[in-house]
Amino acid sequence: MFYILELEKLKFYYFKYTKKVINMNRKALSRTMVIIIAVIIILVAVGAFFAYKQMQEAAAAKKVIIIGTTDKVTDLDPASAYDFFTWEVLSNVGEGFFKYEPETLELKPALAESYEVQEGGKVWILRLRKGLKFRDGTELTAEVVKWSIERVARLEGDPSWFVLDFVDKVEVVDKYTVKITLQAPVAFFKAVLAVPTYFPVSPNSYSADKFDPDNTAGGIGPYYIESFVRDQEMVLKANPNYYGEKPKTETIIIKFYKDATALRLALESGEIDIAWRTLNPSDIIDLKNKGTYNIVEGQGAFIRYIVLNTNMEPLNNKLVRQALAAALDREKICEDVFLGTMSPLYSLVPAGMWSHIDAFKEKYGEGPNLDMARSLLQQAGYSETNKLKLELWYTPSHYGSTEADVAAAIKESWEATGMIEVTIKSAEWTTYIDLTRNKGLQITLYGWYPDYIDPDNFLFPFLHTGSNRWLGNPYSDPEMDKWLEDAQVAIDKSTRTTLYEKVQRKLADDAPIIPIFQGKLYLVMKPGIKGAVIDPYMLLRYWLLYKE
Amino acid sequence: MVSLKVYIITRLLMTIPMILILLTLVFFIMRILPGDPVLAIVGMKASPEQIERIRHELGLDKDWLHQYIDYITMVFSGNLGNSMIWGRRPVINEIWDRFPATLELSIGGFIVSVILGLLTGVFSSIKQGTKTDVGLRLFSIIAYSLFIPLLGMIFQLIFGVYLRLFPVAGRKSPLISITWYTGLYTIDSLLSGSILGFFDAIWHLILPSLTLGIVLSGVYTRLVRSSMLDVLAEDFIRALRARGIPENSVLFKHALKNAFIPILTMMGLQFALLLAGAVLTETTFSWPGVGTFLMERIEYRDYTTVQGTIVFYAFLVALVSLIVDIIYAYIDPRIRY
Repeated sequence: MFYILELEKLKFYYFKYTKKVINMNRKALSRTMVIIIAVIIILVAVGAFFAYKQMQEAAAAKKVIIIGTTDKVTDLDPASAYDFFTWEVLSNVGEGFFKYEPETLELKPALAESYEVQEGGKVWILRLRKGLKFRDGTELTAEVVKWSIERVARLEGDPSWFVLDFVDKVEVVDKYTVKITLQAPVAFFKAVLAVPTYFPVSPNSYSADKFDPDNTAGGIGPYYIESFVRDQEMVLKANPNYYGEKPKTETIIIKFYKDATALRLALESGEIDIAWRTLNPSDIIDLKNKGTYNIVEGQGAFIRYIVLNTNMEPLNNKLVRQALAAALDREKICEDVFLGTMSPLYSLVPAGMWSHIDAFKEKYGEGPNLDMARSLLQQAGYSETNKLKLELWYTPSHYGSTEADVAAAIKESWEATGMIEVTIKSAEWTTYIDLTRNKGLQITLYGWYPDYIDPDNFLFPFLHTGSNRWLGNPYSDPEMDKWLEDAQVAIDKSTRTTLYEKVQRKLADDAPIIPIFQGKLYLVMKPGIKGAVIDPYMLLRYWLLYKE
Repeated sequence: MVSLKVYIITRLLMTIPMILILLTLVFFIMRILPGDPVLAIVGMKASPEQIERIRHELGLDKDWLHQYIDYITMVFSGNLGNSMIWGRRPVINEIWDRFPATLELSIGGFIVSVILGLLTGVFSSIKQGTKTDVGLRLFSIIAYSLFIPLLGMIFQLIFGVYLRLFPVAGRKSPLISITWYTGLYTIDSLLSGSILGFFDAIWHLILPSLTLGIVLSGVYTRLVRSSMLDVLAEDFIRALRARGIPENSVLFKHALKNAFIPILTMMGLQFALLLAGAVLTETTFSWPGVGTFLMERIEYRDYTTVQGTIVFYAFLVALVSLIVDIIYAYIDPRIRY
């Protein structure tokens, strides 16, 4: 009995002791685990920090320039790409038959080393440079050019009208000579040939019967696309086989940002070298004032304008339209809303382009010309007691976050006459264009980026009967139509200039559309970055950029 | 075990009518919204003939019922269709380009919110009635009411611009090359053998995860506190303390485990919401996720992409909900299927 009791005692103390040891070990173990986890976290954090810093230093190297943008690349197939930034990328990884000389609007030979125009502008003979190859090794020949252009027409993507509206047929004359016959002579066809839609692509890299939106094969350009991750980044490398001027920087990286604030912060934190399209006006002014960055400013060719529906009362009355044109305060919009980063515009043809005249300024003065506006309104039967009531529509996001302010500024300038009452309404983009085209809105605000750099592209789509249906504006004038058609086929520039001046003056008189302002483009760069050129072409030439 | 299998299968089968109802709602709501998607797609110069051709190609010239039948048939044959804009890429490709980014951000934000929420909630419950408790509850209210872009911008300014410690946007540094396997850069970098890439991806995750996590933790703090207070008042807690069980063990091993059921429900719901895309965080940090992508496609009336993305998310939410229910059974032995 005694031994059993002693044994039980021993057992008790044994378990108590081992339990104590186990608990002590458990505690020690859990403490050890906590320490290990903490050490791992610290090591990961330190490692991550140094990795990040190392990448920053590598990016600061001279062979890499990083461009930040809030724009996006939508579709890399030239047969379907039809937005500004995608065209910019395509213009750096491909080339057309002609390209613009930087800081001018002169078109010089590119893939076509020479050309000839026959039959009064109806036939274009292009002689290609010999020995040029795409990235996949396919040689650039007349057959490839014919295939590329016919592919655009066949697939009927958004920009296919560049081919379908002008070209009748494409023929191979010999291995390096292409003959393009137009439906009718077109004076500005050289500018049309410079658009990315006409960039030849390799039949061994692009599908014949469908779009290739993710295809990074590109064309024959100073860069090629090494990698592309949608909405994140695109890496361009210098094309070693490019025939022309070699890029000054080996690698260009484009980083995509969701909004202008993030873009600005990225520039200030040193993550990017260049902020391009589009910083807020207040950020541009602020960065300018800091003095730390280099700001390159260029006169862009994009325009903003007011569309007056001439099919709806009271805008079918020319006097009313003229009064609105007279009362508009463009300076106020440019200064108050855009802080001086935009310029007042007095014609649909942007300032700086040949044939431009300040037609609206000639007729109405610099504005606002309230006396003239009141007089015109009185003639139309309106007064302070019988006010003209208008509905002004805008779309809140498509043209940037400043749009509501633009509408408010226009309302203010018209109501300053004391004889107009404006109701502002808005609809988001898809609804806006649907209502414009199909329902008809009284007054709308729109913008325009040119498809090609020629006054025709700023006038014909707006004022020619039938061509302007997209605006929901049924404006039609036979005299205007004749001038526009004649200007399209006239080869002589001075003849075209005279015709376009007539068009602009009649536009100012009839005022179905009132130009508001013209965009300036801003590029903000870290010190030491050089070579940025902004001209009316508006597409940045990456091959000119370099670090000092 | 057999009953758990039956439960899982039943839940998965129930997903089908759920997706069908949701899809039907989204299908008709998108079509009721004003705005012609074809006009949004085509350039301004498109002729009426071109517009009609595209309308026909997209099947939009049919009446709604036929469009619906065609679409449902396509979805249930495993095809989410093609986007209606910008190259008409397959919807599943569009989703897969962006979902991994959302998943990575969701996981990061989720971890921060749960850890912060649990710690502050437990401490608040322990220190009930003290200044610490008041302070932590105030923190939770402030955290939850913070405007994400504001908090995000503050972090970007302080840690990105002034101190240059963290990146302000994006998922990785430009020169890092990571082969796409899963789309999760933290995993893909390791699979690519790029340790540098792994660390870089982690570093880019920190600020957006902290921003999202801090704001969401406010919900957890209050829930954990309330749940813990209920459990700590129970008799078995008094018994555990009387037996001399260490306090940490009482709190974290016994009390928290018992308090976890409602917290787990909230975690499941929050995670599912996060997967739908934290739009504000994505915009602030230029995080290329599904939230901002879906907003953009709604604006363009890209019917197939919006519908397909909703289907994808409905399935994902159902899956998360099922996983949460299975975890219930694991932590609460009273729950059996």
